[in-house]
Amino acid sequence: MTAVETTETAAPAGDIPPALPPAVTGGAHKRRRRGSAFDRALPYLLLAPALIAILWLIGWPVVSVFVTSFRQLNLGELVRGEVVWTGIDNYVTVLQDERFWEVSLRTIVFTVSVVVASVSVGLGIALLMRVLTPWVRIALQIAMLCAWAMPILASTTVYQWMFDQNYGILNKTLVQLGFDSFAGYSWFSSGTSTLSVVGLLIIWQAIPFLAFSLYAGLVGIPRDLYEAAGIDGATGWQTFRAVTWPEIRSLLMMVTFLSTLWDFKVFAQIWVFREGGPSGESTTLPVLQYLEGIAKSHFGVAAAISVLMMVILGLITFQYLRKLLQTEEGKL
Amino acid sequence: MLKKSAANFTGIALALFFIFPTYWMVTSALKPKGTTITSDYDLIPFSVTFTNFVTAWTKPGFLSSLGNSLLVTLTAVVAAIVIGITAAVAMSRFAFRGRKSFLLLMLVAQMAPFEALLIPMFLMMRDLQLYEHLSSLILVYFAVTLPFCAWTLRGFVNGIPIELEEAAMVDGCGRWGAFQKVTLPLLGPGLVATSVFAFITAWNEFLFAKVLIRSQDSETLPVWLSGFQTAFGTDWGGAMAASVLFTVPALVFFLIVQRKMVAGVTAGAVKG
Repeated sequence: MTAVETTETAAPAGDIPPALPPAVTGGAHKRRRRGSAFDRALPYLLLAPALIAILWLIGWPVVSVFVTSFRQLNLGELVRGEVVWTGIDNYVTVLQDERFWEVSLRTIVFTVSVVVASVSVGLGIALLMRVLTPWVRIALQIAMLCAWAMPILASTTVYQWMFDQNYGILNKTLVQLGFDSFAGYSWFSSGTSTLSVVGLLIIWQAIPFLAFSLYAGLVGIPRDLYEAAGIDGATGWQTFRAVTWPEIRSLLMMVTFLSTLWDFKVFAQIWVFREGGPSGESTTLPVLQYLEGIAKSHFGVAAAISVLMMVILGLITFQYLRKLLQTEEGKL
Repeated sequence: MLKKSAANFTGIALALFFIFPTYWMVTSALKPKGTTITSDYDLIPFSVTFTNFVTAWTKPGFLSSLGNSLLVTLTAVVAAIVIGITAAVAMSRFAFRGRKSFLLLMLVAQMAPFEALLIPMFLMMRDLQLYEHLSSLILVYFAVTLPFCAWTLRGFVNGIPIELEEAAMVDGCGRWGAFQKVTLPLLGPGLVATSVFAFITAWNEFLFAKVLIRSQDSETLPVWLSGFQTAFGTDWGGAMAASVLFTVPALVFFLIVQRKMVAGVTAGAVKG
């Protein structure tokens, strides 16, 4: 941090009309107080558009979701523009609904399984990539890149085709291998089976990011540490515990947190496969929020679900930020 | 030696696992009509045709949704990048009261759980009379990508020595001139990487696109493709061709900046 003092007189961000295009400017930060009023206001002018956008498009909805969760707001109230306060009724409705608990539990089990599987396989691949012959490594990287780059809706469509009941390549292959019972087998007849396919799709698409980031972290570990471990006669496992693990632990923590946040919020894949079915068995919290709020127009109840989701996500985010700020300390 | 070949074998198996859906998408799209839906075992295609691509391209809704997707994504990303740069410069080049709180706000905003803001966003867009308009999606995608763009660009601006700008100013450039002639060109690669990442986020988005837009004319490509059974029935070849067309722009961008992207996402996550 440079020791520059700014005075209170600097224009508060709120005074700047959002429509005013700010002048993009770079400047030296070792200026003294004698700068003109414009100079002192400049950083605020530069920040104003971003600040206004964030407060308007993120801050306000966050406030609004809490407020809405204490209102009775169905289609009727929305059309008539009525404001009906119901206190904590929406929460009572949601929390007393057995289905909510069932869905929450399913969401957590689903998220944890997907995160554990993708992070551990991702780490395994990152470690594996170090020992691969270069051309194999490049082939693997290209293959992973293709998986990573495929838009979610494209990959979901491809998976639907691969897992197709009658003509899907998977069932045909299984039959070829002698498992005749898979002829015409439906992978989407139960919630567990549907979520397993969705989970496989998500893991398949999540691993490339995880493997590439962890590999980047592994490559950064100084070679001489391994040489030293080799001289000391450490076994492969001991080297991993003593050299690799401490170097990669914080990175691993970060990508695990990020994966948890991402996988908890999955909507598109689950919705496109069976719209949360069959008979609601693959419904997770984001799908439930959509069903209550948008499909049934129970906005108040859905907002209560959103708030509960945000509480869970908030706890995870808080932990993540704490870790991040610990390692980032002084860099801010 | 045995260990090495076992590792290589695993590597090849994994490569096949990751590439297979792409392979299957492309080959299914290239198969002639009538040979896609078959009980024969057809892992390797023997004849190639492009008619499926013509079918997909001329399907009602494909071109308009492609246009909508491009319009929404590009507008949102350009806005997020322009406003993101100004914020990034302020965060990285100036010392001012409230700087730390602003950095923290950016960091938190970047983690904001947008999916959980579906209901208030929907209500807000309805109040603003933007419901059913593409501009509502532009606003949402702009908000989703802005904190990420600002935060990542800040990292890239930090990486450009301030002395370069100071030298330009000593040589008679104004602040704007110094930024435009020195910082902006050096920021090029970072700008590309950041905007590609933002592009992919918006290009993929499904939930808001589904909720905020209901008329077919304003659909984006993900929503159009999610209802491919309406358009294609059981014509999997056509659906796969549409998927290929949807993938190509994303893949091209990915290949350009793959290395930078890993660095961008994890920037700040690791010490040193």
